[in-house]
Amino acid sequence: MRLTADRLDRISPSLTIAVATKARALQAAGRDVISLSAGEPDFDTPRNIKDAAIRAIEAGETKYTDVSGTPALRQAVAAKFLRDSGIDYRPEEIIISTGGKQVIFNCMLATLNAGDEVIIPSPCWVSYPDIVSLADGKPVLIPCGQNQGFKLRAEDLEAAITPRTRWFMLNNPCNPTGAAYSAAELKPITDVLMRHPDVWVFTDDIYEKLAYDGMKPATILEVEPRLRERTVTMNGCSKSWAMTGWRIGFAGAPVALIKAMDKLQSQSTANPSSISQAAALEALTGPQDSVEAMRQVYQARRDLVVRELNRAKGLNCHQPEGAFYVYPSIHGCIGKTSAGGAKIVDDEAFVTALLDEEGVATVHGAAFCYPGHFRISYATSTEQLQEAMRRIRRFCHGLS
Amino acid sequence: MPALAQRLGRVQVAASTTMTVRARELRAAGKDVVALTLGEPAFATPRHAIEAGLEAARRGETKYPPQDGVPALKQAIQRKFKRDSGLDFALDEISVSNGGKQSIFNALAATVDPGDEVVIPVPSWNAYPLMTNFLDGRPVFVACPQNNGFKPRAEDIEAALTPRSKWLILNNPNNPSGAACSADELAAIAAVLRRHPGVWIMSDDMYEHLVFDGFRHATMAAVAPDLRDRVLTISGVSKTYAMTGWRIGFAAGPRALIKAMVNMQGQVTAGVSTVGQAAAAAALDGPQESVGEMVAAYQRRRDLAVEMLNACRGLSCHKPEGAFYVFPNVAGCLDRTTPGGRRIKSDTDFALALLEEAYVALVPGASYGMSPYVRVSTAADEAVLVEGCRRIQRFCAALA
Repeated sequence: MRLTADRLDRISPSLTIAVATKARALQAAGRDVISLSAGEPDFDTPRNIKDAAIRAIEAGETKYTDVSGTPALRQAVAAKFLRDSGIDYRPEEIIISTGGKQVIFNCMLATLNAGDEVIIPSPCWVSYPDIVSLADGKPVLIPCGQNQGFKLRAEDLEAAITPRTRWFMLNNPCNPTGAAYSAAELKPITDVLMRHPDVWVFTDDIYEKLAYDGMKPATILEVEPRLRERTVTMNGCSKSWAMTGWRIGFAGAPVALIKAMDKLQSQSTANPSSISQAAALEALTGPQDSVEAMRQVYQARRDLVVRELNRAKGLNCHQPEGAFYVYPSIHGCIGKTSAGGAKIVDDEAFVTALLDEEGVATVHGAAFCYPGHFRISYATSTEQLQEAMRRIRRFCHGLS
Repeated sequence: MPALAQRLGRVQVAASTTMTVRARELRAAGKDVVALTLGEPAFATPRHAIEAGLEAARRGETKYPPQDGVPALKQAIQRKFKRDSGLDFALDEISVSNGGKQSIFNALAATVDPGDEVVIPVPSWNAYPLMTNFLDGRPVFVACPQNNGFKPRAEDIEAALTPRSKWLILNNPNNPSGAACSADELAAIAAVLRRHPGVWIMSDDMYEHLVFDGFRHATMAAVAPDLRDRVLTISGVSKTYAMTGWRIGFAAGPRALIKAMVNMQGQVTAGVSTVGQAAAAAALDGPQESVGEMVAAYQRRRDLAVEMLNACRGLSCHKPEGAFYVFPNVAGCLDRTTPGGRRIKSDTDFALALLEEAYVALVPGASYGMSPYVRVSTAADEAVLVEGCRRIQRFCAALA
């Protein structure tokens, strides 16, 4: 008998996990591998947040909560949106999920019919097109090249919208490029959206707090409040508060959509961990100095890796505004042969040879629907980063 | 807002949720409501599990976990299956999810194509048919009447199987009836399944430890080892260790199925809260005395509830083998009228009238696919349960 359902074939195998698995195998074989492939902070969860979780456990907050999250956390999320972005959500317009990913899953499964189109600027996190496909939708990718700072141009968005377009998805700041949009940059995009009243907007702002040089990433509703009745504002604790393992994401959206998402969530996982919700409450309402301290460290690391990568022969690295990734182009390396004899035919060959020959794990651009580049995560210690940069430069200089 | 996806129309809000919401409204209005609705233990999580959760938070186990579960928990699950059921599973035959519900969702989502049939003995937990509908599958119900102790009969299952049957779901002990099949009863069902090699078997054993009067829990993978390559066994820590809020469930079965389930989960939530996983491992490996104490308390409450409900005019309550529910028949109350003037035409009318006039919340059997019954949860404290049953007695006595 055939085991799997057709829908499972629409999920691409995770190239990120494939890289991580290979890096672990090399490590297990005794190789000194530096991993720049992880999409998570290297920092531990701040002390005050862990303490809040510990208090919750001690207080017996270990029961089912409402499917959409505790009233206290929904209230705190509403307050966060008001404080940070001036969006006035009521608690019933908020849902808490097991990671931001579940918000995306709930939202797409709740709204897409077969053949509905979802516009996604690329490079992008591969889960966007995967989840759209899983929901029988059709991802429509708009390439956003390095020459435009990896940012979407309003005219390209306008050209991509059809009568079948259901959603426009934006990741700001972006994984894998680190590109972030200011309010002024979003305005032309929201102007286009205002002309297409049937298109919904999903903005994934999970890297919001990680922006540099005084830049403030804007969110759609901050720029165009009139889109409120068709916008989902997603955010979460994982990146800004170093809480990936706690699995808490959240979103604000019109009540009818929140109810639909709640219904779906009640049938797939029910509520997120009650303990993690208590931790998230502290993250949002407690002192924020650890967020700022982490941000400053990331900024220094970004400056380091951009500088060093641009000194590597054949690489060209754009300096992004946010997140903890850079996305250098390898066009100057294509067609060459590595010191170890590997032919660099594409970005996958590049990252494979880099891992095999120098023990540096990164993720190739094809994993983000945009080849010719590779992603470096600088969420690792400065010492490790310096060593990795030395190795990458040596690798590039060895290409002939 | 634009219409929601068609698939969402196939997911109804659970009647238990409707009752819970109405009970909350009455409470908010100052009424003293006794809730016998919840499928949640009133006990606290065992101390050693709590400590392990605290330790994990302190140690900084706060990063993305592997999507299939952390190795320490998977090893504890491996030992649990060996210890409790004599089942040997390799680590890649085990996966961890956000509650047992997600394991069920993963399994169905990974395997059910449009039109595939899922055979569900009723009464059943409403999540099975809801998920099946949502995934474009077709639930096929097999009635398990009270005169057979609410247990599925092999011949009825045989009659329900067709070439489109993809799964048979066994929930043992059963929510909402508390009925549990013995090894012999399962063996008779296994004999039928041998004649239908294309059918997967899901054994949802979430309540496996909550069995009374020395009843021995049996599970299909152990009863029919020859069927093991198509049996998925699901369990968790929510009910056995009073850990509902931690959201940890797990599944064990054939490697290819587990792999497909993990792949599916990767698109919905990714991994499971690390702190919860640490606590679950400790719960499974640690001292089990608390389980015995809970079971003794549940058995006492079951006896109490069955006795008090059988003393109600018009009710007939079967004494079940396990879980923390009883499922009395309300046929004797139909076509009667409450003092408040409500005519009782169905179990839903009965439950609503009981809530509005006697302030006792329970769930109508219609939610579980069998009428005219109601589900009474015995998870509440003894005093609450006694008060609830007294009110039901008075309510029934006053029907005219």
